Amino acid sequence: MMNVERLQRFNWRPVAIGFLLVLLLLMPFNWFMGQYTTLLVFIGLHTMVTVGLCLLLGYTGQVSLGQAAFYGLGAYFSAVLSKTYGVNPWLAMIIGAIATGTFAYVIAYPIFRLKGNYLAMATLGLGIIMYVLFRQMAQYTGGPDGMGGIPQLAIGSFVFDTPFKRYYLVWFFCLSILLLSQNIVNSRTGRALRAIHGSEAASASLGINVAQFKMKIFVLAAVYASLAGSLFVHHLSFVNPQPFGFLGSVMIVVMAVVGGLASIWGAIFGAAMVRILSDELLLRFGELDIVIYGLILMLVMIFTPEGLFVRLKSYYRRWQTGRLGEVEL
Amino acid sequence: MASDQLLQYLFSGLTHGSIYALVGVGFTIIYAVTSIINFAQGEFVMLGGMLSFFLFASMGVPLPMAVILAIIVAAVVGALLYLLAIRSARQASVVSLIIITIGASIFIRGIAAEVWGVDAVRPPAFTGTTSWLVAGAYIQPQAVWLIGITLVLTLLLHLFFNFTMMGKALKACAINRSAAGMVGIDARAMALTAFVMAGALGAIGGTVMSPLTSITYGMGAMIGLKGFVAASIGGFKSPVAAVIGGLTLGIVEAMAVAIGWGPFSSAYKDAIALIVLLAILLLRAGQLAAQERPS
Amino acid sequence: MTNTALQVTGVTKYFGGLAALDGVEAAIDAGKISAIIGPNGAGKTTLFNLITGVYPFTVGEISYQGTSLKKLPAHKRTQMGIARTFQNILLFPHMTCLENVMVGQHTRSRYGFFEAALRLPKSRKEEEAVNLKAMKYLNLAGLGMKAEQDAMSLPLGQQKLLAVARALASEPSLLLLDEPGAGLNKLEKMELSDLIRRIREMGITVLLVEHDMELVMGLAEWIFVLDSGKKIAEGTASQIQRDPKVISAYLGEEVEYVES
Repeated sequence: MMNVERLQRFNWRPVAIGFLLVLLLLMPFNWFMGQYTTLLVFIGLHTMVTVGLCLLLGYTGQVSLGQAAFYGLGAYFSAVLSKTYGVNPWLAMIIGAIATGTFAYVIAYPIFRLKGNYLAMATLGLGIIMYVLFRQMAQYTGGPDGMGGIPQLAIGSFVFDTPFKRYYLVWFFCLSILLLSQNIVNSRTGRALRAIHGSEAASASLGINVAQFKMKIFVLAAVYASLAGSLFVHHLSFVNPQPFGFLGSVMIVVMAVVGGLASIWGAIFGAAMVRILSDELLLRFGELDIVIYGLILMLVMIFTPEGLFVRLKSYYRRWQTGRLGEVEL
Repeated sequence: MASDQLLQYLFSGLTHGSIYALVGVGFTIIYAVTSIINFAQGEFVMLGGMLSFFLFASMGVPLPMAVILAIIVAAVVGALLYLLAIRSARQASVVSLIIITIGASIFIRGIAAEVWGVDAVRPPAFTGTTSWLVAGAYIQPQAVWLIGITLVLTLLLHLFFNFTMMGKALKACAINRSAAGMVGIDARAMALTAFVMAGALGAIGGTVMSPLTSITYGMGAMIGLKGFVAASIGGFKSPVAAVIGGLTLGIVEAMAVAIGWGPFSSAYKDAIALIVLLAILLLRAGQLAAQERPS
Repeated sequence: MTNTALQVTGVTKYFGGLAALDGVEAAIDAGKISAIIGPNGAGKTTLFNLITGVYPFTVGEISYQGTSLKKLPAHKRTQMGIARTFQNILLFPHMTCLENVMVGQHTRSRYGFFEAALRLPKSRKEEEAVNLKAMKYLNLAGLGMKAEQDAMSLPLGQQKLLAVARALASEPSLLLLDEPGAGLNKLEKMELSDLIRRIREMGITVLLVEHDMELVMGLAEWIFVLDSGKKIAEGTASQIQRDPKVISAYLGEEVEYVES
C-alpha cells in the first residue's frame, strides 16, 4: 500500500518537463535528429501561434479563423522594416509585435460584440482581407511572388545564420511563451477565462469584465503569432503570402484541435503532429494534406471534442489508476 | 457615368449577385432548420461547376444531362455531410460544429483537387456566347440564364415554403423545433432535407455560373463567404430575403468597382463583401447575439 | 432603524412592445431578507436582470446606496457589492467546486496578467488568500468536502448551494437569489433556509425571487408582489397572505408547494 501511495503522490510533472527540455536541447545535434532541424524550427514557430489560439479558443471559448493574418503581419513587418528600411531586425520584431497587438486591440472591440458563428465568419473574413492586402500591396510586400534577402537576426557579432542556431532561438521564444501562458492559465486571469467560456452572464455577475478579458487574450494571441511571424521570416530570409491565407488559419485550428484545445503543452503535440504529417509524409501526395486536415478536424470534433491530446492524457490516467488498483470516484 | 455604362455594371452586379443569392439561400435554409452555419456551403458551388465540366468534357455526357447529374451528386454530398458528420455530433457546441463544417469544407476541396487537378476549368455555355445588346449594354446569354434561373428558383422556393406540406413543416421546424416535433414533424428528416436542398441550390449556381467565370477547386471559400454575407443581409429569415441580400451585395460590389472609389479597385473587389459583412454584423450585433444559442 | 439599500423608482421595461415591468417602485431595506413573489411572467426575473445589469433600463431609476446603477455595466455593479445567483444556476463546467468559488473572489483580488505571467510574489500571495477565502465560503455552504470535485458532478441541491457560495465569495453587501428553492427537496430547502439566515447574520441584505410560498413566508421579513409587471402589494408575510389583490392574482394559478 505504501508503494502505491507514493507512486500516486509522486509529481511526474517536473520529470516530464525536464525530459522534454533535455530532448529539445539535444534534438538538433547531428547524431540525434540533426536532419530534421528545419522541421523542428517550424514546429516551434507553429507552437507559438497555436498556443495563442488555445488560450482564445480552448480556454476562453472564442473562435478565430484568422490567426494566420497576425502571423503574416509579424512576418511582413519584420521583412519590410528590416529589408526595405534597414531597421535593426530585433527592433523590427518589437515594432511588429506592438503594431500587430495594437491592430488586434482596435478590431477587438467591434469584433467581440459578435459570438459563435458570426465571430467565426468575421474573423475568417478579416483573415482573407489581410491575405488580399499582403498580395495586393506589392510595392511593399513583393506581392504573390514574395520578397527575399531578409537580413538575419544577430546578437552582437553572433549571427543566427544556421538552422542549428536558429533552432535554439526559436525554441527559447517558444518555451518562454509556453511558460508565460501556463502561468496565466493557472491564475486569476486563467480562471476568469474559463469562467467566460462556461457562462458569460455568470462571469459578469461575479465582477469579471468579459469584454476586456476577451480583448486582452485576443491581443496576446496576436502578439504571439506576430513574434512567430518575425522569427519565421528571419529563418527563411524570404516571405510570400501563401502561409497566411485561409488554409494557414485552418492549419492552426487543426493544430489546436489535435493538441487539445484547452491545453498549453498540447500545442507542441498538435504543431508537431501536423507539421510532421505535412512535411514528412504528405509531400509526395500533392493536395492530399487538406483532405487529411479536413478528416482530422471532423473526426476529432465528432469523437473527442475536447481534443486528441487531452483525450490521450485521460486514457493514460485511467490506465495508470487502473494499474494501481484504484477506482476513480 | 453614362447610363449604358451604369447598366453594364448593373448587369455584372446582378450576375454575380445571383450566385451569392443561391448560396445565401442554402445558408438560410440550413440555419433556419438546424441553427447550424454550414461553412462548407461554398463547396457545393465548386462541386456543381467541376462535376458538370468533367462529366461533359471527360466522360462525354451531354451537357444538359451533365448539369442535372452534377446537381444530384452535390445534393447527395449535402445529405452525406449531414448524415456522416453533423448527425454523429449531436450534442456538439456551436464551436465544434463550426470546426466540423470547416473540416468538411477543406476535405471536399482537397478531394476535388486530387480528382480534378488544380487548374481552372470552364464548361461550355448553355446557349452560345454571343452577347446581346440591351439598351447600350452587353449581356451574355449565360448571365441571363443565371439571373433567370435564380429568379425562377426564388419564386418556386417561396411557393414551396408557403403552400406545400413539406415546406410548411420545414418552416415549422425553423420557428420552434420542439413544438414541431410534438406535432409529429421529424426534425432529423427536415434537417436532412435542408442539407439536400442547400447542396442542390449551390450546385445549380455552380453549373450555371462556371461557363461565365470558370471554376477552380479552391473557390468555395470566397463564394461561401459572400453567400454568408447575402444571408446576413437577409437576416437568415427567408429565402426571398437571402436572394435580395445576394443581389444587393452583387450590385454594391459592381458599383464600388465602377466608381473606383479609394481602395475599391477591382483588385480589392473581394474585400468589399467583407467590409459589408463586418458592417452588417456589427450593426446587428445585439440582435444576432440574442438569436445565437449559447455555446 | 430602517435604512434603504436598494431603491427602485418607476422602472419600466418593454420587450417587443410588451411591458415586462410597468412603473415598479420598491425600497429594499438594508440588512433584511426581502422577497419578490408573483405568478409566472410577473416580471420578477426581469427586475433582477435590470438590477444586475443583464439588460439596460431606460425608464425609471435603480440606485444602490444612493448611487445610480443606470450607466454601470454588470461587472461594475458587482464591484459595488451586488451579487446574484441564477434560476438556471450557471455554474462553470470543467471547473472544480473550489475553482468556481475562487472565480467569485475575482473582484477581491487585484493581480493581473503581468504578475500572473511572471509569477511574481504578489500573485502567489494573493492566490493563497483567494484559496483560503474560497474554502471558507465552501465550508459555509457545507461543501468543504467537495472542494476538488467537478462542479457539474454535484446533485442539483448542492449545485444551488455552490452557486450561493460563489456569489458570496464576491463579498457582497446585497445578495440576489433567483429561485433558490426550485427543484429542491424538503431537507435541501431547510439547509437553504439556514444558509440564507446565516447570510443575513453576516450583515448582508438578501433579496429573493421565489415560487415556493412556504420558503418565502418562513424567511422573508418584507415581501413585494408583482403581477403582469406591476407591483400590486407589499408588506409582511401575514399582511400579504390576507391581501385580496394578491389572492385574486394567484387565483387560477396553482400556488407551488413542491413536496419531497
